[in-house]
Amino acid sequence: MGMLCRIAEVVKDYCKVMKLLTAFIVCLLLVANAATAQNSNVTSPESETLPTLETVKAAGVLRSSFRKQLPRTETNEAPKANLKVFRKEIEPVLKKACARCHGAKKQEGNIRIDTLDPDLLHGADVSWWLEVAAVLTNGEMPPADEAKLADKDRSKIIEWLSSEIQVASAVRRAEGGHSSFRRMTRYEYKYALQDLLGLPYDFARDLPPESASRDGFQNSSELLHMSVVQFETYRRLARKALKRATVSGERPPVLYWGVSMKKAADREWPKQAEQLKKLKEKHKDDPAKQKTEVDRLTASFKKPHRNSYYREFSTGRTARANWVYYGGRYAFTPTKSRQEIPATFDHVAVIPQGRNQNLIIELGDRVPDEGIMRVRVRASRAAGEDTKIPSLQLEFGWRASNEGRAVIRVSTEDVPIKAMSDSPEFYQWDIPLGEIYPRNSVRNVSKMGAMPSPSEFIRLVNSSVSQGDIHIDYVEITAPVYDQWPPKSHNRIFIDGENRKDEAVYSREVLTSFMSRAWRRRVTKAEVDQKIKLYNAIRPECDSMEEAMVEVLASVLSSPNLLYLVRKGVAGNPAKQAQLQPLSADELATRLSMFLWCSVPDPDLLQLADSGQLSNSKILAGQVKRMLADTRSQRFSNHFLRQWLNMELLDFLSIDRKAHPNFDPLLKEAMQQEPIAFFHEILQNNHSVLDFVHADYTMANERLASHYGLNNVYGNHFRRVKLEPQHKRGGLLTQAGLLAMNSDGKDSHPLKRGVWLLESLLNDPPPPPPPAVPEIDLADPEIAKLTLKQRIENHRNHAACMSCHSKIDPWGIAFENYDALGRWRDQIKGQPVDAASLLFNKQKLDGMDGLKRYLLKNRQDQFVRAMVHKMTTYALGRPLTFADRSSIDKITSDVRKQGDGLATMIQLVVTSELFQSK
Amino acid sequence: MCLINIELDKPVNRRINRKSTDMTLNLNSLDRRRFLRGTGVALALPLFESVTTSLARAAADTPNPKRLACFYFPDGVPMPLPKDPAHKDWLWFPHGNGKKFTFTKCLEPLEPLRKDLTVLSGFSHPAVRKIHGHSNADQFLTAAATAYDGPYKNTISLDQEFASHVGDQTRFSSLVMSTDGGTGTPRGAHTLSFNRSGRAIPAEHRPKRVFDMLFVKSDKDAARRLALSKNVLDDLLADARSLRKTLSSQDQKRLDEYLESVREAEIKVEKAKRWITTPLPKVDADHLNLNLTPDEPRLYVQTMFELIYLAFKTDSTRVATYQIGRENGVGKSDHLARAVGFNLAHSLSHETKNPGGWEKFGLYCRFMNEEFGRFATKLKQTPEPAGKGTMLDNTLLLFGSASSAFHLSRNYPLILAGGKNMGFQHGQYINYAGDNPAGGPWNGGREPWQKEAAHDDIPLSNLFVTMLQRLGVKTKKFADSTGMLADV
Repeated sequence: MGMLCRIAEVVKDYCKVMKLLTAFIVCLLLVANAATAQNSNVTSPESETLPTLETVKAAGVLRSSFRKQLPRTETNEAPKANLKVFRKEIEPVLKKACARCHGAKKQEGNIRIDTLDPDLLHGADVSWWLEVAAVLTNGEMPPADEAKLADKDRSKIIEWLSSEIQVASAVRRAEGGHSSFRRMTRYEYKYALQDLLGLPYDFARDLPPESASRDGFQNSSELLHMSVVQFETYRRLARKALKRATVSGERPPVLYWGVSMKKAADREWPKQAEQLKKLKEKHKDDPAKQKTEVDRLTASFKKPHRNSYYREFSTGRTARANWVYYGGRYAFTPTKSRQEIPATFDHVAVIPQGRNQNLIIELGDRVPDEGIMRVRVRASRAAGEDTKIPSLQLEFGWRASNEGRAVIRVSTEDVPIKAMSDSPEFYQWDIPLGEIYPRNSVRNVSKMGAMPSPSEFIRLVNSSVSQGDIHIDYVEITAPVYDQWPPKSHNRIFIDGENRKDEAVYSREVLTSFMSRAWRRRVTKAEVDQKIKLYNAIRPECDSMEEAMVEVLASVLSSPNLLYLVRKGVAGNPAKQAQLQPLSADELATRLSMFLWCSVPDPDLLQLADSGQLSNSKILAGQVKRMLADTRSQRFSNHFLRQWLNMELLDFLSIDRKAHPNFDPLLKEAMQQEPIAFFHEILQNNHSVLDFVHADYTMANERLASHYGLNNVYGNHFRRVKLEPQHKRGGLLTQAGLLAMNSDGKDSHPLKRGVWLLESLLNDPPPPPPPAVPEIDLADPEIAKLTLKQRIENHRNHAACMSCHSKIDPWGIAFENYDALGRWRDQIKGQPVDAASLLFNKQKLDGMDGLKRYLLKNRQDQFVRAMVHKMTTYALGRPLTFADRSSIDKITSDVRKQGDGLATMIQLVVTSELFQSK
Repeated sequence: MCLINIELDKPVNRRINRKSTDMTLNLNSLDRRRFLRGTGVALALPLFESVTTSLARAAADTPNPKRLACFYFPDGVPMPLPKDPAHKDWLWFPHGNGKKFTFTKCLEPLEPLRKDLTVLSGFSHPAVRKIHGHSNADQFLTAAATAYDGPYKNTISLDQEFASHVGDQTRFSSLVMSTDGGTGTPRGAHTLSFNRSGRAIPAEHRPKRVFDMLFVKSDKDAARRLALSKNVLDDLLADARSLRKTLSSQDQKRLDEYLESVREAEIKVEKAKRWITTPLPKVDADHLNLNLTPDEPRLYVQTMFELIYLAFKTDSTRVATYQIGRENGVGKSDHLARAVGFNLAHSLSHETKNPGGWEKFGLYCRFMNEEFGRFATKLKQTPEPAGKGTMLDNTLLLFGSASSAFHLSRNYPLILAGGKNMGFQHGQYINYAGDNPAGGPWNGGREPWQKEAAHDDIPLSNLFVTMLQRLGVKTKKFADSTGMLADV
């Protein structure tokens, strides 16, 4: 019964997914596969010793038709539809092969081929022709048991169609409808403020989340709306951000907490002494018994503990590190001057490995609201082996009452503790206190020691899975830390200059400098004048120049000149507007930095734009290289990859903990991280994008490696790990997070996986389901006996379901060896996994290995083109149209010819005419 | 009509020449009293010639304001099992179903309001059904997955969602109160109200502060802030206009959303400005002791309710929340039990296994029901100052808790009252809890919230969607709603 429900749900879910895709029909038709004859051979080679996937990959490259010359794209004459060839060579073949099912009598799939308008340049049937091109290219039509279409004829049709599509695409570009004018996304606004102000804060937290376009991208021009709520939020955020970046008055006093573990442990020893005293008292009349009991208790005081504990080396005694929230009695009091750190020590806190053990350092209610809190910890690792490197996380939290509490991880990356126990080292975190939310809200309401408790604490967590204990002997907390006063972020805005004394001149200088950085171009005198006017209007109401300036700069940061990207258009003549207009230099700089850094250009890039050098293709290529090498390119890897693969699914996935008791937050984090780390690795090494289909390496940390059954991977950081065939991993298709997010949290979900593969990787989203989907008869005992795969097949045999499912199911079934968490399995409920099925064109997909073989052999062009399509969509920040098709083909062709590198692909996208046009 | 008495704000009028339907909506809901109040006074209203006719029509057609007040009490309610002798008299929920139901002694004080209210059972927020009842107040009006530990995130509350639609029509967009005051801590909230970013809005607990804010003090800094906003908005409008000139016609349309937003923000500023020149309403406070504390529990709670009544009557706001107590005792509100002769409120919920335990807990709940009833009755007895029916007919009241049985975050005890002019059908008990809801005293061991649930509740957000719709908010969704509730 459970399984029955499952298949019903699977189908229901699919239909839900599909309804979302309703809008996809047109899209599907527009973005159908490249016109190549790559798949004309639909038989699968069955031999005893299969070549390795890497060999198949290398061989597949040679089969690419993109590596050959592209069909005609340019001509000096006004382009015309090639109807002569159509009438003479194409039409008769099409009629013979297709008209029986798609003709006057029958219109399978609602398409009739003999009445399509063969003029692709001006006719109304382009979408249908794209579909025809796709099914012929992918070898899906005609079905094997229907009419025959000789390879020679197939190639002829595809060639003609490709050529016509190319010309039509270029011609239709003039029809317009491709504006990239858009506002920044929420995350772009965040990074822009970070880079402009030089502060790593999450400024955009209060902005509403963006929705994703049908391509899955959040930066799509058509979606990025503006409302009064949003507008007012920008104003509020901008003011708040500027107030945090600037300061007034004297440097605030600094507080120091110096916490030696001796001090911490000294709270515990008296408790043991008390215990001993009581025991002695209890047995005072029986000295022998007293001695054995005292010896037993004393020995127990030297044992290690499961939870964090203190150890005194000289005596060997230990005591559990206790903490309770009430009474504030574990809080350390800060001092106004820095405390001397002892050079030697006899006490450590031991934080054991596994189970996220932690040590709480309670700080009381005087931790400032704003500024940097610097946490320094002198630590070492207990284990001697070099492979055993434990790691620390830092958390901030508080517990005010029985129920009121929160703990927030404030360290971004785990810090590996490499120091040996004989030479401990200091490890340091700088935590912006203003970023921590929620803080304990009864600070300044309740007194220390009273209830609810106003106290706050930091927590040091041994985050390693198996790397041994961490020893800590000293913790120093300093807040607020300002390396200079006024801080750098202040001086970035209130620049130094000889005119500082002359407010009228200086305010203009400050504004001009800030505005040109924020608006990413040289600002005009009129623009500065207007802001000066605002400044003068506000100034009498403000106490200082700085206060008034912050208000004006907030206006600069809420201005459409900051929020909207790619600006100047061509007013007037609509025909002229529709032409591809080259971007101005500063617009190109902005598009480039938005693409690779999700942010505004830096001064170097702006300078190159301003001096006109950016239009030089060598300089532009150099900039792309520089930007990809910069750490800010990690933002590109994060955001592009997550949107490309629709990884939000993983964020919201809820795993059935009963079915999967081993699932834990650490694994989920690793699942989220792997695809991003993998992408970034490929990007930084300019590896082939085909590595996304299969690679003999992945990026893993210890938790993920143990999930995959990979040995000798220690610690929480991600590093490159070699994969062997027996690991049955490699490429995106086998990554646990991507498999898990396309499950239902309990078991695999072949339909979700199939749809995801078609949509994200092959850019060939399946058509939506018909309005009335027949339900599976759960009461039918025959159905109850079937396996999941058989049930899917049964469902598929309904006429109404077949056309869609035959296109999806085989792809998804090939994943069946991976369970809901993406673990390999040979059996499902005692039955061997059957992961083989036939594609619509009778191509057999035999499990993951077979699927990869098929993709690498027959669908390389489709995958690379799909990726170019996705990346260009993201780079332009707008949906692609038919008019962009020829450009996408051109980029794809260049990528294939130049070796399929991911960084190469980015270079080619940037240097394309499409990227450099409005 | 009295429109002639209103002095149009010329600069705004000149700049804004709009056809937006949004705007018409906003103006449609301006009520007639606003204009009446403005008679003889130069009232700065953001009016536009183009919409004055629709405005006049609106004033005549929709005279009734729509108000919302939400009340919360902690620690759940008495849930003796059917076999328990206390079941008959002290179960919080009525006996029966639909129109045929009888109140127990617990809800008996509400009998006179029977035709003005609906009792509901079998509702809860799906995201927090498994958390301990001590952390329940935070999400009563938000439905957020606030969890028990770790990072904390809340979302906008029902009252604030409504306030974001009507808040600009009154001097105060909402009134947020609690017995314990402030925000409390996450998972131990002292407020029911959370803004759009999910941040807690501090609640006021001192009757005098509430009274002074509503009727005595005016905000000195407001004029300065508004003038500043006005300058900034003018500047941004200029930015947008000059940018617009450089755009293609297609892109201009996209930028128009920005222009539109700036204009709407300006209208909000203009609306806010008028309150600076409008005198505070005069209210007779002789019957109130504004220095009360929860140590005089009954009078304190009465006064808090009375302040909401006065705020509504003077149309100072149309949205109010009052958290009668914080969860888990440990606070001033725990003293409220002294109203009925017990020491601490929270412990009453723990001691139901003792002889007379259910009755004691029930008597305490009865006290809160009495005060809620007194407030609702007062609204019922007051004719709508400038509209049809009584104030109760135009005020929707939600009264309830997010626990039922001991620490169990399911089957919330809920009463929906008033709002007949919005289409609510009252006089019924909507019983979705099934025949055998979790209950009984706690005798140690596993608590009800730790056990597997035998019954699936309806998402409370479904009721919230219906409430918002009837309050005039065009929405089909609130938080995790899966539909609406048709039977109210």
